[in-house]
Amino acid sequence: MMINDDLGHAGLSRRDLLSTAAAATGALVIGFWMPQRASAQSMNPAGATWAVEPGVDEVNAWVVVAPDETVTIRIAQTELGQGVWTSNAMMVCEELQCDWSKVRPQYASANRDAREMAPEWTLHVMGKGATDPLGGGEPGFGRRDRIGSTGIPDSLYRRMRTNAAASVKDGRYYLQLAGAEARERLLLAAAKAWGVPVEEVSSANGVITHLPTGRTTTYGQVAPLAARTPHPNPKAIRIKPPSEWTLMGTERKNLDVPLKVTGKTIYGIDVKLPGMKWAAVKSCPVYGGKVKSYDFERIRSQPGVISAIEFPIPDPALIRERVFSGGVAVIADHWYQAKTALDMMPIEWDVPPKHAALNTANMRATLLAAMDKPGRVRTNLGDCDSAFPRGAKIVEATYSTPYLPRARMEPGNATVLVTDDRVDIWIGDQSPQETRYSASKITGIPEQNVYLHMCHLGGGFGRNGNGPQAEQSIYLANQNRGTPIHLLWTREEDFISTTYRAMGVARLRAALDADGWPIAIEVRTAMDGEAPGPDASFDKAPRYYAPNYRFSTHTAAFHIPVGTRRGVGHPAHDFYRESFMDELAHAAGKDPYLYRRELISRTNLPYKADMIKALDTAAEMSGWGTPLPKGMARAIALEERGAESGGHATISALVHTVSISKQGEVRLLRVDVAHEEGFSLVNPLSVRKQIEGQVAWFYNDAMYQECNVTEGRIAENNFDTFLLSRINEDPPEINITFFKTGHWLNGMGHDRCTSVQSGIADAIFQITGKRYRDLPFRNHDLTWS
Amino acid sequence: MAIELTVNGARHSVEVAPETPLLWVIRDWLGLTGTKFSCGIAQCGACTVHIDGRPVRSCSVPVSTAVGRAVTTIEGLSADGTHPVQLAWIDLDVPQCGYCQSGMIMSVAALLSKRPNPTDKEIDAEITNACRCSTYHRIRKAIRLAASKMSTGGRDL
Repeated sequence: MMINDDLGHAGLSRRDLLSTAAAATGALVIGFWMPQRASAQSMNPAGATWAVEPGVDEVNAWVVVAPDETVTIRIAQTELGQGVWTSNAMMVCEELQCDWSKVRPQYASANRDAREMAPEWTLHVMGKGATDPLGGGEPGFGRRDRIGSTGIPDSLYRRMRTNAAASVKDGRYYLQLAGAEARERLLLAAAKAWGVPVEEVSSANGVITHLPTGRTTTYGQVAPLAARTPHPNPKAIRIKPPSEWTLMGTERKNLDVPLKVTGKTIYGIDVKLPGMKWAAVKSCPVYGGKVKSYDFERIRSQPGVISAIEFPIPDPALIRERVFSGGVAVIADHWYQAKTALDMMPIEWDVPPKHAALNTANMRATLLAAMDKPGRVRTNLGDCDSAFPRGAKIVEATYSTPYLPRARMEPGNATVLVTDDRVDIWIGDQSPQETRYSASKITGIPEQNVYLHMCHLGGGFGRNGNGPQAEQSIYLANQNRGTPIHLLWTREEDFISTTYRAMGVARLRAALDADGWPIAIEVRTAMDGEAPGPDASFDKAPRYYAPNYRFSTHTAAFHIPVGTRRGVGHPAHDFYRESFMDELAHAAGKDPYLYRRELISRTNLPYKADMIKALDTAAEMSGWGTPLPKGMARAIALEERGAESGGHATISALVHTVSISKQGEVRLLRVDVAHEEGFSLVNPLSVRKQIEGQVAWFYNDAMYQECNVTEGRIAENNFDTFLLSRINEDPPEINITFFKTGHWLNGMGHDRCTSVQSGIADAIFQITGKRYRDLPFRNHDLTWS
Repeated sequence: MAIELTVNGARHSVEVAPETPLLWVIRDWLGLTGTKFSCGIAQCGACTVHIDGRPVRSCSVPVSTAVGRAVTTIEGLSADGTHPVQLAWIDLDVPQCGYCQSGMIMSVAALLSKRPNPTDKEIDAEITNACRCSTYHRIRKAIRLAASKMSTGGRDL
């Protein structure tokens, strides 16, 4: 099958590519050619997602309406299972008022984003200093950043990265605006065609009606005219508040699902180009290391083998200063040939001795010792030093969490073709603007000539691993200009070339008064100084009231590259905080639900009523307080992001019902989730799916998953040692209740259900009498009698 | 040497080393990319296909073992995506990232052909594929829905 690319030529002649493609039978083969515009859409295979030149003029950069009324909506975020392909389209469609069944999402072109500036009217929405008329603060992208790494550029699609559960939160303003601008221009075009005032026309479901006469036309019919009809006053466009939503807020099945059940979706790994060669790579398993020597002669005659290429440590400036490793790639006709030959090739590594001396035990000792040093005091309310001696009871606990990778199912890969004036990249990528920049830096070809052909991702869980899959691929392809190179990591390599959630420790101390209420709480955490999210869950104010409160962070410098794994700082910090609240409640002899409820009600936090509502709802759903058989227990916890802020926040509470057999077999039986929807969720079905999935995600974190460091390298590197739960461990019952609050959500999709960890910890304590504070629990004796 | 294979009813002759895993022959030589690579060591099941109707983890099966037998991949499960398991997956919006779902669907289809109305214990024992998005909750419901679709000849209850 031949299909066109983004904007045409790629430096190879069309004849070359067509003849190569014709020789490949049965395979999906992506060619480069410049078809007639009208045929472009039809040449795009069903499973391809990347930007293609439309057959008709676009209404604006987000909306194309074809004569058959199909509406293409350009999506600037990446679908990795979180439902953004659908929710982003819903936000445009809400305002556009087109027929939802005619909507076809497609990735926005990162190349156009390098060539065009954002329409002026998108610069006046949130993120340029405006405030939300409905309250709830402004999105986090206020800072301008040309490559979109830490802020948002003023280029066409503005924020193209997919992170921080922010696709809906931040994108809503200009996606709704884009839909509204397109609709108003379609109405203007119809009015112009009919010679009537625009006030007399209206539209619904893609049909435009002239109200006085009842005459109708369609979006598809007037779209060409709308494309030539500028909006006279785009700054006046108003977007709908939640009270006026008709599509947003309804449960919509995800638009990408039908192709995912037939195997037709084209992930990055599935891309095949004419003349393409495959690369298998090995990086030095100790970060910061590189190749000392390798012996290509030993494998030169292996089937399919073409060459071996050494690559340096990827430039840290392109990967948020993270230092990975240098390595060597074998290029072959087929990936399995490359991988087999690479496994046979002798390689010696140049390993930094300082890094090789590190292991889990000595790194953890360093972190524990760091907590005894002053650290950085982030919050200091009242006077802990004078309060502690007044405590009737002192409770102290030290917790730890391991290094954790995302272990997405699709191993890192990218297909890159570099010619003398152009770079083409087929990739599932959560930061296309950054990858575009990397491609330009590595090849010397301007960003305006870099084309990213975006694919869905086989899981993300935190910026797709933050690893150098694109940078390695671009480097290899740049050494092989004119030949498309498809790099694919083995599972083991995927464990090396990813960033990790940092290993962490925490020491929490509380002084309780004679009634068991805290008069002082002190929190110390320690992890790698580069780890993101050190302020999570504890910063600015205690969520549970204590008149004296001190929170300090302590750091060490290790060589394991750390990054934004799902939930970033919250999962570990929520485990520390909620476990400690359970410990305090038990020490006080009080019910852990009512203890939390009372302490939240004593605060003056802006969203304390919402937190209490969450706790009350979850407790009621779960039958909190009703008797359970021996060997079963319930545990409750609060989850929040931004509850201290008065701005965006996401608040939920969960009750976990757990059984443990006398042999120590843990079973999460039931999870009751009370989750706020702010003013409204955009697609509640997606949120339900995310919650269901995150229950099992954090069950894995609680029970099984850890990566240890042995002689400087990550020890667990495949699913035989890094364990994934299966369907037999999924809770039989997950109940979800949504409730409305009066603020915007701080996103959804990565930091919920963290409390599975503290919930199982407390159930273990209630059932076995043992309190474990080090994750994962499979390392501990959970038997009881 | 040439390996003779029958995949989704079509016969192929492939020049490939006989120890090459079936997965890579399916994906890279035959171009059927619906079957996925993830762990390479038969742990996760993303590469599940049928050989003579039985589910196998194709990343760890040499292509030579499929000679003379019928291989079915996700592309051959139904001509038009209307196998009851696929329909149930759509009805309940099961996939998230979707990467494991080809293998998952093949495992479930094999289970239901053997056990049209499996118990929870049978599901637990037979469906050992891993899903990192952890769509298990909907998968179990969708297995039930698919079973009911099959027992009513594809009609929804």
